Amino acid sequence: MSASQSAVRSRAEAVKVSRTFDWLILFTLFFVVLGGYHIHYMLTGGDWDFWTDWKDRRLWVTVAPIVSITFPAAVQAVLWWRYRLPFGAVVCILGLLLGEWVNRYLNFWGWTYFPVNFCFPSNLMPGAIVLDVVLMLSGSMTVTAVLGGMAWGLLFYPGNWPIMAPLHIPVEYNGMMMTLADLQGYHYVRTGTPEYIRMVEKGTLRTFGKDVAPVSAFFSAFVSILIYFLWHFFGKWFGGTSFTQSS
Amino acid sequence: MAATTESVRADAAEAPLLNKRNMFLGAALYVVFYGWVRWYEGVYGWSAGLDSFAPEFETYWMNFLYIEFVLEVSTAGILWGYIWKSRDRKVMSITPREELRRHMTHWTWLVMYGIAIYYGASYFTEQDGTWHQTIVRDTDFTPSHIIEFYLSYPIYIITGGACFLYAKTRLPTYQQGLHLQYMVAVLGPFMILPNVGLNEWGHTFWFMEELFVAPLHYGFVFFGWAALGVMGVVNTEVIAIAKLLKKDLA
Amino acid sequence: MKLIKDKVTKLSFVALLVTVTAAMFYAPTASAHGEKSQAAFMRMRTIHWFDLNWSKDTVPVNDTMTISGKFHVFAGWPETVDKPEVSFLNIGIPGPVFIRQGSWIGGQLVPRSVTLELGETYEFKVLLKARRPGDWHIHTMMNVQGGGPIIGPGKWVTVTGSMGSFVNPVTTLLGDTIDLETYNLSNTYFWHAFWYALGLAWLGYWARKPIFVPRYLAVDAGKADSLITAGDKKVAMGFAAGTIAIVAFGMSSTNAAYPVTTPLQAGLLRGMKTLEMPARTVNVKVEDATYRVPGRAMQMTLTITNNGDSPVRLGEFNTAGVRFLDPAVHEDETGYPDDLLAEEGLTVSDNSPIAPGTSRTVQVTASDAAWEVYRLADLIYDPDSRFAGLLFFFDEAGNRQMVTVDAPLIPSFI
Repeated sequence: MSASQSAVRSRAEAVKVSRTFDWLILFTLFFVVLGGYHIHYMLTGGDWDFWTDWKDRRLWVTVAPIVSITFPAAVQAVLWWRYRLPFGAVVCILGLLLGEWVNRYLNFWGWTYFPVNFCFPSNLMPGAIVLDVVLMLSGSMTVTAVLGGMAWGLLFYPGNWPIMAPLHIPVEYNGMMMTLADLQGYHYVRTGTPEYIRMVEKGTLRTFGKDVAPVSAFFSAFVSILIYFLWHFFGKWFGGTSFTQSS
Repeated sequence: MAATTESVRADAAEAPLLNKRNMFLGAALYVVFYGWVRWYEGVYGWSAGLDSFAPEFETYWMNFLYIEFVLEVSTAGILWGYIWKSRDRKVMSITPREELRRHMTHWTWLVMYGIAIYYGASYFTEQDGTWHQTIVRDTDFTPSHIIEFYLSYPIYIITGGACFLYAKTRLPTYQQGLHLQYMVAVLGPFMILPNVGLNEWGHTFWFMEELFVAPLHYGFVFFGWAALGVMGVVNTEVIAIAKLLKKDLA
Repeated sequence: MKLIKDKVTKLSFVALLVTVTAAMFYAPTASAHGEKSQAAFMRMRTIHWFDLNWSKDTVPVNDTMTISGKFHVFAGWPETVDKPEVSFLNIGIPGPVFIRQGSWIGGQLVPRSVTLELGETYEFKVLLKARRPGDWHIHTMMNVQGGGPIIGPGKWVTVTGSMGSFVNPVTTLLGDTIDLETYNLSNTYFWHAFWYALGLAWLGYWARKPIFVPRYLAVDAGKADSLITAGDKKVAMGFAAGTIAIVAFGMSSTNAAYPVTTPLQAGLLRGMKTLEMPARTVNVKVEDATYRVPGRAMQMTLTITNNGDSPVRLGEFNTAGVRFLDPAVHEDETGYPDDLLAEEGLTVSDNSPIAPGTSRTVQVTASDAAWEVYRLADLIYDPDSRFAGLLFFFDEAGNRQMVTVDAPLIPSFI
């Protein structure tokens, strides 16, 4: 066939076709990334994300940002450097939160009847918006890792606190003090999750009193920076277009 | 004869570039089917799925498992066989417009892959977590596993395989060898299925409780990363499509 | 090809139809769950539940019931299960069909994990409030870290009414009474919807213009910088500044609205109060024990020595929740689940009272279909063919003594 032959009949059709591909690609990217990201997140930080009585001020704050900055870093690495599109992190979080919410509502509540106020997901959107904006304004992977990664870790707890604070009101219950979140975990029986499985702050003689959440957030921010670097390069590799040749 | 190749016939008929009807029907097939599956879980999970030693468990769940095994193996065989058997042997000589049309069809397949991956890796995988809060794990084949591992995973594997085969057999872009990231995007999530072996072995011998973040589950995580290979496919596709549209878009 | 396609479609449809039809003719039957999958020797040698009482058979939604009784932590605890140093008194129900309003071991509330001692007996109680209508099998259950769930006997309880009417009022230390079933829900929805909308707005801002092909062509042509305009930068700065401002505002207004909050409460509870059992005056030596596969019966030769001051008779053998009784000595009046109760399952070759200071060697047979139904007979295929259980002796005044047995078991196939 002649190379000069055109695939489209007009410029208008070319524009339309290009736009059609935009939606097809965006849809697929959204859902495939959602699938991979969700399975990654639920199996590395999921329990903290499932239950309010795991959402503590130490381990939840530490783990969730570290394990969740992975896919955003990888997707940014492709969308920004190849297309100058600064929505890699937000598109990941939109996907993850959609997957989580659909599941919490239709399955945790709709199939097994755990109240939604006990099993809603963590909010990761503030960090994602800032991560994307930092990348866009700086155009630098290093600056994004350091500033964006730091913001990712630091914004997590305050971004979730308005949702979690009401559940940390104390109650006196049969002679013991608990938070409402603890009480949810106790009331709504999870046959497969005995209390000892729960990984939450139990205090230590080495703790700086009340500074648990800020210290955890800061540590989380530090590791998020490192993970961002690592996953940026993962992302670059996954975005590769190489072919293997049979020997 | 060139005149008998599929490409020329399709061109002559002047099919639309994107067959929207096929795409929506395909998407509807997944959504309706999984809607039915979720309904089945809702009803028979509770009434027949709590005790794997009960006779009704055999009726409603183990038979479901056997039927889905047979259907999956035959669907994979027929679909993949058909795509391979009807391959275009003159793929390098198709018209640019036909190539564009095939990219559209390829993306229709990839959209299906997106839907299938979503249901498998997100919807049914996290759903498994909540079912294990509800029953005491007394078999490898819990109702949620019968759906998650042995239905939703094979379905995305079949869909992913179909995408890859379609690209390989009908698009000039993929003729030069095997696209590494494409293989990762299809084979990685596929590996989640064999990894079930590790999962069940671990749950049988160590760990009955439901701790999602247990290291036992990291195999799933590792293979889940492979989904990012879709970015390599996107990039390759964009380069190929840009080549086809470049002079008209300028 | 079309023919094959048609056939596949037809076959799939038939298979689907068969499943659906089979589903329609479903009639529920009584069943247990979970415990039968566990190795019998584990169930016999870990936690022994006894004196169990399910306070009701039928409970309306919002009404409560209790399960109470005792459990003995077996001294011959199997090596393969971690010792119950971190254990949680759970309840084996299919999810939150009840809420657990309280659970106590030795009178102490145990919302958290506890340490149990081998060889000790504890009293427990679990208070449940009905939430979801249906017939539910309610098991006692102890989770042991490094071991897993140890499921005790289960009984069917019917919950009536409607889940829509379920309420879970809780009064906080600040004096407010809230309904924990729906508390904080609209706040959660609001914040998540708000942030999701903001994320969508960001994506929408970029997706309103062509996304992939033209941008790739521009980057490829070295014109990447032209893709981000000054306007884009302003919008981006607005998004970032807005995000940070909203987070800061949300944090400070929340702190103002909820000045009193406490961290999650956690930590192992130690020093659980044990139950003082009557002093043991009966000694039992297991001479041998066999399980006769065809007769579904376990036979033991026991030498019983009565060191007490009143004559005793063997009334019950209890293992893995299955109770074998000699009706001449002891009858169950607690409404114990039928499938776990062999009311005439215990036969003793000579069950006349054993006088104080004397010894007697007797043949004891525990037979019932429960050996098979509860898969206890599988003990003979376990990697540690050893059985264990509780023997209950009664004197004439009705006083009871508990003696544990733990010995190898030889199967008999003929």
